[in-house]
Amino acid sequence: MKDSVQRSSLLTWLADPLQATRDTAKRAFQSTTDRRVWLAPLGIGVALLVLSAIGFAADPEQFYFSYLIGWSFSLSIAIGGLFFLFFQHLTRAEWSVVVRRIPEALVWAFPALFVLGIPILFGMHDLYHWTHEELYVEGTPEYDAILAGKRAYLNTPFWIGRVVFYFAAWTLIAYKLYTLSVRQDVDPDTDIPAQQRTVSAWGLPLAAVTTAFASYDLLMSTYPHWFSTIFGIYFFSGGFLGAVCLISVLSMSMQRGGMLKNVVTKEHYHDLGKFTFGFVVFWAYIAFSQYMLIWYGGIPEETVWYKYRMEYGWGYHSAALLLGHFIIPFILMLPRFVKRSRPILAFWSVWLLGMHWFDLHWVVAPVLNEQGGFHWLDFACWLGLFSLIVGLVMYRLSRHALVPQNDPRLAQSLRFENA
Amino acid sequence: MIDDLTRQVKASMGIFESREEDDVYGLLAEFSNPSTLMHAAESVRERGYSHFDTHSPFPIHGMDRAMGLGNSKVGYFTFGGGLTGLIVGYWLQWWTAAVDYPLNISGKPLFAIEPSIPIIFEVVVLFSAFGAVAGMFALNGLPRPYHPLFYSERFKKATDDGFFLHIAASDTQFDQNDTAQMLRDIGALNVELIQDDGVADA
Repeated sequence: MKDSVQRSSLLTWLADPLQATRDTAKRAFQSTTDRRVWLAPLGIGVALLVLSAIGFAADPEQFYFSYLIGWSFSLSIAIGGLFFLFFQHLTRAEWSVVVRRIPEALVWAFPALFVLGIPILFGMHDLYHWTHEELYVEGTPEYDAILAGKRAYLNTPFWIGRVVFYFAAWTLIAYKLYTLSVRQDVDPDTDIPAQQRTVSAWGLPLAAVTTAFASYDLLMSTYPHWFSTIFGIYFFSGGFLGAVCLISVLSMSMQRGGMLKNVVTKEHYHDLGKFTFGFVVFWAYIAFSQYMLIWYGGIPEETVWYKYRMEYGWGYHSAALLLGHFIIPFILMLPRFVKRSRPILAFWSVWLLGMHWFDLHWVVAPVLNEQGGFHWLDFACWLGLFSLIVGLVMYRLSRHALVPQNDPRLAQSLRFENA
Repeated sequence: MIDDLTRQVKASMGIFESREEDDVYGLLAEFSNPSTLMHAAESVRERGYSHFDTHSPFPIHGMDRAMGLGNSKVGYFTFGGGLTGLIVGYWLQWWTAAVDYPLNISGKPLFAIEPSIPIIFEVVVLFSAFGAVAGMFALNGLPRPYHPLFYSERFKKATDDGFFLHIAASDTQFDQNDTAQMLRDIGALNVELIQDDGVADA
């Protein structure tokens, strides 16, 4: 960061690493809302998390699992935002410039998510069976030869070190992409698009590897006997889908608030809709690939993971996941008008955000509960954390221009049409 | 009645019949550049013509709208192809593996949906592609090795630097003199009468 935009104070760094540059934004791209747009979701988030804290007192184990599901939901969407930005920069995309500030504001969620991840450290004993010391004492009935074999990788210090490394990598990439773009608003240095491409070029493989390993460490290791090498892509596909849906929803709600008039048009929503549809299919492709190989192999240590998800009510969850995350949206999102209609695309975006959480719940919750179903803490933790993250996104959006106003491809993006 | 319907369907594919009494196919007008061609297409459509088409050496952005073409219908052919592929792919595997030649392979079910899905998926993609390509050809009235416009020497420029619009005589509004005058009024460089006498000249 050169001197064009000042760093923010340490106190607000978690929320926004830069000083507000809203005054330099052109009028058409200026946020016209007051602080309620971010205070309201922050307030709801804090209220729901306070409620969850009461739930913690009653049932800590359930709290930790609900919290991990809700936290992974927001984390996966922030990671999806990173990949969205990589793709736009690396392909020099024109269409997306008018909506790009939303994922740029989204990816600075990593520092806040890191802080919000601290409760998981306290719940590791409940969440991660492999943290139990007695599993590794040879000659005792608790001794687990399989987990003992995995101990070099699955042990608490290494796990914490890895998670810290993932967050450091994501935060670094997010910092570069976010500050480069905001700096461009004030100081249209012609070198910035090339720098954004460079960051994306090394950021893409780094984020890909860290995302895959984060999904193994945070989610897959809740059932440490089981393994699936495609799990990282599975996690990514849902997160990317969630990020695209969130971009559509936030862009529509800003337009409802009277901002970005004639900036984001039907044509841009059409492309966001195509992205959404594409990742509905991609998620199904990956989810099925994982399932089919395990079905065909028929090895007990692999199939047992699916067996838990087909019994005692979890079978209904599996069926609902197949229908709600793939078959229904696939068929109903096929026509062109669906992607070009704001109310219908808004419906599917919210629906799929819900299904993405349902998917994570399906992955994690059967480890704790033999019986299918939900606990109220699942909803309180999920919506509380997500409200906080969305509130912080709105806070960042309100402090800067709503589009990267000096991007050289902005003019093409404004008049973009699906040919 | 059937003839009329055939004519309408062929017209929607861009295949227009010549006038029976004098073999007049229509009028071919040349324009100087893409934007005058686009404006010409707009005014021809606004005047109520429907049997017309434009020809240019490269695609012109916005021409679809200027001509009032609306959305492509190819997607419906693709969808139909995909559904056919779904049924064929499912039936193929069930009939070959469980009915015609049942073989016990490591105790697995003779037919199961799980391992069949990749093949069903591939057949869906293949048939969707067939549907899309066949639909594209059908909707464009292709292949069409013979076209009355090939009688015009000038029309050869359509692959180089000529921008053309032709109005077919089959259009209900077509009038040899009035239509030609109208084309000149909207900026045609020249207007040529195309006769389809069915004789290929050397």
